[in-house]
Amino acid sequence: MMNKKIYEFEVMKGFILSNLFAFIVIGLSRLLKPDPGVFVYAEFVIVPLLMGIISAWCWKGMEINGKKLTGFSCLNGALAILLSAVFLGEGVICLVIVSPLIFAFIITGVFIGRAMFRKDNTNLNMSILSFLFMLFIVDSVSKHHYENLVSDVMVINAPAKEVWKHVVAFKKIEKKNEFWLFRIGMPSPVAATVDGYYEGAGRKCIFSNGYIFDEKIVAYKPEQNLTFDIVKQPKDPEIMGHIDILKGQFLLKDNGNGTTTLTGNSWYRLYVFPLWYYDAWAESITRNVHLRVMDHIKELSERR
Amino acid sequence: MMFSFVVKNLGFLKAVPMLPLVFDSLLRVRAFITKPKILDWMDELESEALTWPGMSMAIHKYGGLQFNSCGKEIAHLHSNGLLDLLCSKKSKMKLMLEGRIQEHHLFAKSGWISFYIRSKDDVNYAKGLLLAAYLKKHKGNLTG
Repeated sequence: MMNKKIYEFEVMKGFILSNLFAFIVIGLSRLLKPDPGVFVYAEFVIVPLLMGIISAWCWKGMEINGKKLTGFSCLNGALAILLSAVFLGEGVICLVIVSPLIFAFIITGVFIGRAMFRKDNTNLNMSILSFLFMLFIVDSVSKHHYENLVSDVMVINAPAKEVWKHVVAFKKIEKKNEFWLFRIGMPSPVAATVDGYYEGAGRKCIFSNGYIFDEKIVAYKPEQNLTFDIVKQPKDPEIMGHIDILKGQFLLKDNGNGTTTLTGNSWYRLYVFPLWYYDAWAESITRNVHLRVMDHIKELSERR
Repeated sequence: MMFSFVVKNLGFLKAVPMLPLVFDSLLRVRAFITKPKILDWMDELESEALTWPGMSMAIHKYGGLQFNSCGKEIAHLHSNGLLDLLCSKKSKMKLMLEGRIQEHHLFAKSGWISFYIRSKDDVNYAKGLLLAAYLKKHKGNLTG
């Protein structure tokens, strides 16, 4: 039986070495990457996976059962997330979004590592580690650029003339938030104001925490099209540092029966990868921003 | 429920490298939070099996723990407590009559069977199933 103090030291070693590794590698990748502001696949997938494998290496021969390994991995994931908050200045919402990736890949890494070190096939182990390291380098030095459009459509029981009045600028949204991320503190849109009703006029979209998106109207066709470029947006430690909203648009179509089809479009650029994970979040958040504003426009238009 | 839904509707994604392993890790986290006893029972089954000569463990390609007898897979255990075992069609029929096992969650017509570990009593039954599969394989290796 292993001495308790040695056991505790080995467990701590698993936490410390894996997090130290992550800290150094993420620091190095900042230097390697063509755009240091971008967080790549390697940082969210390969690094946690290697963290798990490093922990498993520290814990090999300790006969730690699967349940304990799971608990230690969760603790290690929580520690990594805490360190990200401290050293990378990430906000709570951002950490909530990233945590499933970190936990899942650290645990996967620990169990892959356990199988690797049980077999103790040095050639195989080195091949796996070299492959992961190569993936990390290739991904880090690759150029990452991704833009997407989210579009939502809603039919409003009011003529286009009435809807248009509430599209360009609208009064404060009083309705309670339904989307869970808005409820836990992510800023949601509350009002929009304009300097004037013409192309080139300034528009402001105000969010619940007081943040303001400065916009410029680039297409102004009453009762048809309002398009605006985002000229300035707040840099927030939450997800707003990782996504840029580039452009917004409202399209109105008179259905000829007293109803109007309202389409809301937003274009954004994402600075976090892998896309299969973060784009799903970005789409969901953008969609909920749209729906909050469009539901409000619908309510105001149908109230007449 | 969630496992069946994913296997049925998103099963095609199992070809994506690592994805089944990650899914299994998420099942493990869920078990750790909602029913940690399952992990104890899984550990008990693993410890017992490792005492049998020629038994070894590996990571199953579709997630979970793989039980190998003399290097060949005889069963695997997903992290929600679902044990998938290979047995002969004759043994499968007999076990089906006992009413505790199910046809394999994907390959119903094969010799594979599925058994959910949901209680302490289930662990003992799972040990029996695993031992039978082990002995069958071991006997095959000795005679073959």
